[in-house]
Amino acid sequence: MERVELQEKIVAILVDEFEFENPGLKDNLRDDHGFDSIDAIELLAKIEDMIGFQLSRKEKEQAMTIRTIDDILDYIETMQAAHQG
Amino acid sequence: MKRRVVITGSSAITPIGYGKDAIVESLQQGRSGVKPLRDDGLLSQRIHSKVFGTVDYPIDFGFSRKDSKTMGPVSFYACQVAKDVLAQSGLEQEFITSGRLGVSFSSTHGSPTVQREIYKTFFSGMESGFSSIGAVDYLKSMVHTTAVNISRMFGITGRVIASSTACTTSSQSIGFGYEMVKYGMQDAMLCGGADEYDTTTVAVFDNLLACSVDYNDSPECTPRPFDAGRDGLVVGEGGAALLLEEYETAKKRGASILGEVIGFACNNNGGDLILPNLDGITATLRLGLADAAIQAEDVDFISAHATATKMGDVIESQAIDQVYGDSPFVSGLKGYMGHTMGTCGAIELILSLYMMDEGFLAPTLNLETVDPRCGMLKHVPELMDAETEIAAVQNFAFGGVNTCLLIRKWQ
Repeated sequence: MERVELQEKIVAILVDEFEFENPGLKDNLRDDHGFDSIDAIELLAKIEDMIGFQLSRKEKEQAMTIRTIDDILDYIETMQAAHQG
Repeated sequence: MKRRVVITGSSAITPIGYGKDAIVESLQQGRSGVKPLRDDGLLSQRIHSKVFGTVDYPIDFGFSRKDSKTMGPVSFYACQVAKDVLAQSGLEQEFITSGRLGVSFSSTHGSPTVQREIYKTFFSGMESGFSSIGAVDYLKSMVHTTAVNISRMFGITGRVIASSTACTTSSQSIGFGYEMVKYGMQDAMLCGGADEYDTTTVAVFDNLLACSVDYNDSPECTPRPFDAGRDGLVVGEGGAALLLEEYETAKKRGASILGEVIGFACNNNGGDLILPNLDGITATLRLGLADAAIQAEDVDFISAHATATKMGDVIESQAIDQVYGDSPFVSGLKGYMGHTMGTCGAIELILSLYMMDEGFLAPTLNLETVDPRCGMLKHVPELMDAETEIAAVQNFAFGGVNTCLLIRKWQ
């Protein structure tokens, strides 16, 4: 999945399901949009559905450092690359 | 330290309406909130009883995802009535978040709708490989979900009590909240209960042969508390909240006082978990009067638990007769909406408050021919004007738990 397509999908999820308003790629998810730990776990489940494989416990823990939408996209690309390898 | 405890907010979502005006109108017009049981694609076809006390009107909750993401349907009811009572009480935000306000609120199961979704994942979705329990499923379905969703939404930092005792859930919530304020542990308590539409509860009572089955084609004719033709209870849904506050504080800030809680009692039968127990119930009623420091003849009206089961109504009648004789008027308010389970005590107390305030008493709906074994009571014969100064609200639960709340009209 190209990064542009990935970005469109993630932004759509954040707007439609997490009630984000005008999300920017560099916005701080917590400070700018009230995104909390519960949201992070829910988003991970949606990412698993999107990429089509299950993330390990260690891989999920890596997601806890995510702060921006750009970080989310980087994370997904890293996971996809790791699983393709 | 014993302090007076007054009511400065009340709100109820019930099968006969949401808010005082709608509920009073339904009571005065004898309108039932019992409807056909909805097909849930799972249990409803296997249940003999086909009726349910249903909230079938739209409610504009308007909660943002930030607040609602940890709520199952039961918490929507709970937070809506909590929002209402906080607004009605006029309490300032500084007090609400001060730690002097606590929450005493619960439900029978948490959210069975969410629990059902969890089991669906187990039984149908595991082959996909990616399904799991949602991050918030436990928060939505745990037994204290209503209490903590209320606390979270309004920033309440005081004590949390989540008594989950089936049919006495919210009467205990109110009683324990009353004691918190009376004995100075908290200055105010947001109390109540809620339960959502749920066919598993119907299945439980249906299996015990305790549900109404003879009126499936005429839902509005059941339940029939104290009636010779009663054939069991009808499960219902709803939510109800009260704001209890220490009298001097309420008076000082100029709060509008709706009534006073003057007594509470709770005990256990100490035996069978299902069968009603005359000694246990009678003891509770007497303990309630003692706590309120009043005599039996001071009570003008009794809101009976009266689920319309065959033995429950008879035992309750005997208990009322032993303690009160035929002095107070008696009504079984479940006739209007069925048994709203964990909510029933709070709803029935609020309906009693409304009737006190409006100067009328509603009869037991569907009581046409009094069962002779319940005939010794002074049943409210028809819709009547009445000045009620003191009312008793009685509730009894599986597990042998009995409660009695006593309230006084505010002059």
